[in-house]
Amino acid sequence: MIEFIEGNDAVVRGAIDAGCRFFAGYPITPASSILVSMMRELPKVGGVAVQGEDEIASIGMCIGAAMTGYKAMTATSGPGISLYSENVGLAIMGETPLVIVNVQRQGPATGSATKGADGDIEFMRWVTSGGLPMIILAPENVQDCYTLTVAAFNFAERYRAPVFLASQKEVAMIREVFDYDRARAEAPPAFARPVAAVDCVYEPHACSAPDQVPLMSPIGGPHLVRYTTSTHDQRAYLTGDPEIIGAMVEHYQRKIEAHAEEMGLYDEELEPGAETLILAYGVSARSARAAVKKARAAGRRVSLLVLKTIFPVQEKAILRALEGVSRVIVPEMNLGQYVEEIRCLAAGREIIPINRMNTTLVTPSEILERGGLL
Amino acid sequence: MATRLAPKELVTRGDRLSGGHRLCAGCGASIVVRNVLKGAKDHPLVVGCATGCLEVSTTIYPYTAWKDAYIHTAFENAAATISGAEAAFQSLKKQGKVSKDCKFVAFGGDGGTYDIGIQSLSGALERGHDFVYVCYDNGAYMNTGFQRSGATPLGAWTTTTPNGKVDLGKRQNRKNLTAICAAHNIPYVAQASVHNFRDLIAKAETAFETEGPAVLVVLSPCPRGWRSDPSQSVEMARQMVQSCYWPLYEIIDGRYVINYDPKAKKIPVLDWMKAQGRFGHLFKAGGEDILQRLQENVDREWQRLQALAQLGAVETPAGA
Repeated sequence: MIEFIEGNDAVVRGAIDAGCRFFAGYPITPASSILVSMMRELPKVGGVAVQGEDEIASIGMCIGAAMTGYKAMTATSGPGISLYSENVGLAIMGETPLVIVNVQRQGPATGSATKGADGDIEFMRWVTSGGLPMIILAPENVQDCYTLTVAAFNFAERYRAPVFLASQKEVAMIREVFDYDRARAEAPPAFARPVAAVDCVYEPHACSAPDQVPLMSPIGGPHLVRYTTSTHDQRAYLTGDPEIIGAMVEHYQRKIEAHAEEMGLYDEELEPGAETLILAYGVSARSARAAVKKARAAGRRVSLLVLKTIFPVQEKAILRALEGVSRVIVPEMNLGQYVEEIRCLAAGREIIPINRMNTTLVTPSEILERGGLL
Repeated sequence: MATRLAPKELVTRGDRLSGGHRLCAGCGASIVVRNVLKGAKDHPLVVGCATGCLEVSTTIYPYTAWKDAYIHTAFENAAATISGAEAAFQSLKKQGKVSKDCKFVAFGGDGGTYDIGIQSLSGALERGHDFVYVCYDNGAYMNTGFQRSGATPLGAWTTTTPNGKVDLGKRQNRKNLTAICAAHNIPYVAQASVHNFRDLIAKAETAFETEGPAVLVVLSPCPRGWRSDPSQSVEMARQMVQSCYWPLYEIIDGRYVINYDPKAKKIPVLDWMKAQGRFGHLFKAGGEDILQRLQENVDREWQRLQALAQLGAVETPAGA
């Protein structure tokens, strides 16, 4: 069925189809419509949606519910992510699957309520203390909001980790044509959470190798499950032993980084002989696509790489796109954040960041002009 | 209670919140602010304002409606930021680096006070800063599009307490913020309403004169969220007080004083609920139970309050 819906609606559809049955959130524009829709839709499928008394309570409830057996999601914007910070660390430490939708608006603080921005990209990457890897997906349109929400749940459950959906106001609150049947057909199947066998001796963080993911068992279920915010051993017993702590950190790092390619979601339109690569994500990718179309029509050879998975960094895909290219254009609605990730991989090439932080979109003509593609 | 300011003085004093702000027609927030600031008399002020309708609507670029020093804080920390300002000011004053007098006041809506801001409010009250906290209470998150708050009454519709086949608006009772603040044993807590200017100004005067923390919880109609006629806001507030849903009272050093007792003129809550679309679904079949519970809650709370006031009267010598 063809519908005309906004990105936030598509997030709600994706979450429910991915098996989300718990939502907690707190009002904040431009994420409030996810809260309101989840409160309307989740009870229909036997789920629970709660409005917390603040963001700290909302993400806290999600962690509790996720550990008790539900797939859980919360949604907010920049100021709310600030308050989520400590609990994101808790979710990492306790290996809690959780989807966090950040409908970005221009910050800092209340910022420009409510105008779009991509100012939280590196904020989400380094959202909490410790600096461990994060998984972050960025939708560029309404269909992506659906597909990437499903993917976010799958990654959260598969790797037992919090996953960010880096939406933003322009994607979340603009209505677009949405083909639900097509979206469902193209989205990955929902990943069912594997749980430990009832008769096993259960250890919450036991895994066969550092990059493997331990099985879950619902708290309050068949096993005595322990959960701690502190450094711990595989039984979740608190420890100060450097060797055990080192192994714990290695596990948290490896379970994400060793599987980076499995999480690789991107569109590549590489053109043989292209000297210029436009690398984009989120809403700016739409301007990038338009710019590429125009440049090619004018006879220019241009490659395009649109990243949907922005973290973990898709090094192989980016290096492939960089082959033979002498110039890289990176448009972003911030002061230049993700371009720093590209700089690490694009040694010797001219890098043209196109940055905009005045709440307006980067335009295709600006990409063409600044990128010397006219 | 009535203001000690003469009527002429009240009229000529002028407003410290100017006209031209963008609050909706029939909104109670600006009435609350103007009357509270009248109570500050000629004292210089530092105003803290939590994120919310009041904040966004009074500071639309390139204007501001505030004539006093003004700090916009995050949603959750108006009380914390104003208490930091007050502590620094007291320190500077003690060192002789400032000589002028200054009062500190923070405004927050019910979302920013009952819910996300209660921790910073509680901390500031317990630490005992010399400031006035004012909650303009319209019973939901109106700024973000009518989500429920801890102040939303039982049975009220909001976008996150919808009414349908299963639920008839909010399932839970509202918190009693005035009682929560009183439990901090601070020198002054009062409940007021936008319909009674003299009472509100008098309470603000007392609050500003009080040494230490003072809290005013003020009923503030919201025609958009209440689904009510903007021209009836003040009348509705009057009826809500007359029904004892929102009693006007003070807690002065722990002593309860009821400022208005409707006695035989007490009206049922139904009288004003009918005029508010947020309760419309309760007047169809199935809503009777919630309506009855609401009335029972109001009656029980009113009795409790009367008992507390009685207690105060016994402890305090006549005429005090």
